[in-house]
Amino acid sequence: MAAEAHPVPARLVARRRSTELLLTVMAAAITALAYVLASLGANARIPARIGPFLGLLLALIGLAHLAVRKLARGADSTLLPVAVLLHGVGYVMITRLDDRLAGLQSLWSLVAITAFVATLLFVPRVGDLARYKWTLFFAGAALLLLPMVPVLGVEVNGARIWVRLGPLNFQPGEFAKLALAVFFAAYLAERRELISASTWKIGPLRLPEPQHIAPILVAWGFAVMVMVGERDLGSSLLFFTLFVVMMWVATERVSYLVIGFVLFGLAAFVSSRLFGHVQTRIDVWLDPWADEYGKGFQIVQALYGLGDGGIAGTGLGRGSPDKVPEAQNDFIFAAIGEELGLAGATAVLIAYLLLIGAGLRIAIRTDRTFEKLLAVGLTTIVGIQAFIIVGGVVKVVPLTGITLPFVSYGGSSLLSNYVLLALLLRLSDSGARRLGELPDDPTARERWLAWRLRRSTPPAADATDVHEVVA
Amino acid sequence: MNRAIRQLTAAVMALYVVLFAALNYWQVNRTDELASEPGNTRALIRQFDTPRGPIVTADGVVVAMSVQAPGASDVEFQRRYPTGELFAHITGYYTFGLGATQLEQTKSNVLTGSTFTQQVLGLENLWTQNNDNSGEVRLTLRADMQELARELLGEREGSVVLMEADTGAVLAMWSYPSYDPNLVADPDYDAAFDYVTELQADDRDPLLANAYQQRYMPGSTFKVLTAGVALDERVISLESVWPEEREYVPPQTDDPIENYAGSICGGDLTEVFRRSCNTPFARIAIELGPERFEDGITRWGIGDRIPIDLPRAVASTIGDFTEIDQNLPLLAMRGFGQNDDQMVPLHMAMVAAAVANDGAMLKPFVVDAELDHAGRIMNRTQPDVWKRPISRQTAGILRALMVGVAESGTASCCIALDGGIPVAAKTGTAQLNGPGQPERSHAWIIAFAPVEQPRYAIAVMLKGTDAEISAGTGGRLAGPIAKRMLDAMFRIDPPVIAAPPTTAPAPVPTSAPAPVPTSAPAATTTVP
Repeated sequence: MAAEAHPVPARLVARRRSTELLLTVMAAAITALAYVLASLGANARIPARIGPFLGLLLALIGLAHLAVRKLARGADSTLLPVAVLLHGVGYVMITRLDDRLAGLQSLWSLVAITAFVATLLFVPRVGDLARYKWTLFFAGAALLLLPMVPVLGVEVNGARIWVRLGPLNFQPGEFAKLALAVFFAAYLAERRELISASTWKIGPLRLPEPQHIAPILVAWGFAVMVMVGERDLGSSLLFFTLFVVMMWVATERVSYLVIGFVLFGLAAFVSSRLFGHVQTRIDVWLDPWADEYGKGFQIVQALYGLGDGGIAGTGLGRGSPDKVPEAQNDFIFAAIGEELGLAGATAVLIAYLLLIGAGLRIAIRTDRTFEKLLAVGLTTIVGIQAFIIVGGVVKVVPLTGITLPFVSYGGSSLLSNYVLLALLLRLSDSGARRLGELPDDPTARERWLAWRLRRSTPPAADATDVHEVVA
Repeated sequence: MNRAIRQLTAAVMALYVVLFAALNYWQVNRTDELASEPGNTRALIRQFDTPRGPIVTADGVVVAMSVQAPGASDVEFQRRYPTGELFAHITGYYTFGLGATQLEQTKSNVLTGSTFTQQVLGLENLWTQNNDNSGEVRLTLRADMQELARELLGEREGSVVLMEADTGAVLAMWSYPSYDPNLVADPDYDAAFDYVTELQADDRDPLLANAYQQRYMPGSTFKVLTAGVALDERVISLESVWPEEREYVPPQTDDPIENYAGSICGGDLTEVFRRSCNTPFARIAIELGPERFEDGITRWGIGDRIPIDLPRAVASTIGDFTEIDQNLPLLAMRGFGQNDDQMVPLHMAMVAAAVANDGAMLKPFVVDAELDHAGRIMNRTQPDVWKRPISRQTAGILRALMVGVAESGTASCCIALDGGIPVAAKTGTAQLNGPGQPERSHAWIIAFAPVEQPRYAIAVMLKGTDAEISAGTGGRLAGPIAKRMLDAMFRIDPPVIAAPPTTAPAPVPTSAPAPVPTSAPAATTTVP
């Protein structure tokens, strides 16, 4: 199972966590400095709540770091620091934009880090998730369709992506994408040979057997449905890209990529003909100045902000990103570009590239198909989601409302992204263990099963039996 | 699968490179274009978020100031003009949506504290909570004199310009109609826009200052310029005598030039100037000829933009001279301020000041000093000679001629000052109507006082917009305004030398008068 043993695994692993701690503290230091600078820039005052802020910041990174040190000792050391940096920059920007939201975002940060730790704790063997693939499939589908339920669904700014449960509002789509990524990784890991075999012939086309490809088509149907029913073009594009990329990686057949995007293009074209809001988005994208004070207002103001920021930015607290509606949310990248300039915006882009690089490295390092595909899927979610919204803000693609992972304001988004991060760390850790970089310690549950086994059988049983029991 | 993952990595990187390229496009390549988009208010917001200092008159009245904007506003500060329309043409306005004009525009750097000097002086604020670096602009104008000018002019269109003869400092410069800059600076942009649209549609041009942004036919006040040129060119002298005549037929025409109201007029220079006969000055212009006339008049600064420290001042003109030698009757008419002669009222005050000041015409200015945030003077305007249109001797002769006008001529009805302070003046009644049309004329007076060591020069102009003004003369209509203005000024700042009571016309000064102060500091302009 494990490849050749590493010569000095223990020292390497110890250094990995220390590196992570150092980088995380640096990310936190940047966040704290930015927090003070934003307040100085806006009203020449050291922020009043600097004490509680530093306390919360240190508590959160300490908690996250200790969780990784205890629960995923061999994991990649760059993922957490990069996420903390993005989260911190986003938090400072949100505080600077709206003081009221800052308090809520602190609460969400706490919830998200807790979820991060819980994920690491409750998913000790990532392979276990594959067993729940159909559960996750239906859960994901249900979450996706939840906002369309008449009483629960709430329409905000034209998109019906919110669900209101008593006092709690959340975006189920943020969690659906995780569930569906796990489902796809498991489904494709199981049937990739069958799908790539393509034994079904229709004229010149060679396609996989219909029963194998059916769930893919169902997923495509979901994507279209989300686009039409919830007017959520961003999520629709994200889901679809996720499926197509995972199909392509699983089968290594570029034709899936091509067919997938042709299908999506077709769906987008038809819906732009049928539904006004899609056509409007495209018109605004092509010429936002045509309706500068109407539909194009947001993007035009964002571009003014970017232009005003220039290379070095106006400085934190010294621009006027509040001119852009939803600056704390979908348009937070415009606020970063305005106040931190090209330099700061590029740093944010590089942070995403680092996350993507680390995520895909995990995919390459592991030797299990399910883990490979899951790492690809999770990384694609972060990378493509950031691309879609940043591309929308800088007018590279039509604007679709979607959050910037780790940066934007919002509990659902932050929570799901930290769960995603925990899963990536878990994948990285198990990959490292199988490479023999550190001993593959049994989990608590495994130890308990082994203990029960030892009680019922003669003491001749060794560790390999335990594994058989677990598997 | 690893091959596909590597390809995916490359593809995602390519996507991010596109984002980076787009960011560069907006944040590096297109910044100027984005900044100049009319809908982009970011630079303005930045300006409006910084405190902006006041504009204060010489007598300490704040005429422009920043106040906290109402809570719902985009910006922290809003501009307020406590005196309303009174100083609108001086301060201009500073608005969010409609830009800035006049001193609010040209002195913006000082007011916001962004001049180099202020940046250096402001370094002492580095370690304090106070980051207000805004400067102050102090005017030469006096609010009380400006207010008096407004009161005297009333609802008659026109302007009153009072200045220091020997420095060029403007003490009052009021134009009616004016406008209320508070309404232009209204944070309710739509209301402000409606108001400006209404002002622009008004054919009386309230946005433009009659005093320095418009020009009017000067009538007989122009004879000061013609006489000055002719005396300098030695075409005439005090001994010159003109025939008593009702009309004069210039060359190249049968159409005669008449005196005012068709009267018979003539005599020596003092007499024709005192009675403001037209025919002698028509003859003088013809005698000078187009070239000498044009050159001489140009020396008075006609054709040049008035060098006041306010933007968009205009130039006076004597019309097109290219074909004038084929059209000498026009030259004759321009000799006494008719036809295409158009004078800026401020320029006429400067003409009076030049005569008073031994022939030196100073640059007019309204900004006395620029102060930093702590009230230290950074810059003080120094008087500066703009033109020397006439010799000292000629100025002396003109001064005597103008005293004659004030004491026994067309202004004698109305210009005599309280306390017998001697005064010199010239009136003008510029006929705008052609023969047979209803009477329409501008009423003018220019004056300065005291005659010896003159202090103040004034020009009053009333536009010939209604029958009442058109029926009157410069002396009767504009004269009393000039008198009240000068009286008020002398009450504030009595002349140093008590004026000797004079009964006879003042003798022509032959002795050399006091030297011209060309660069002396304007010590008297800032008396609070």
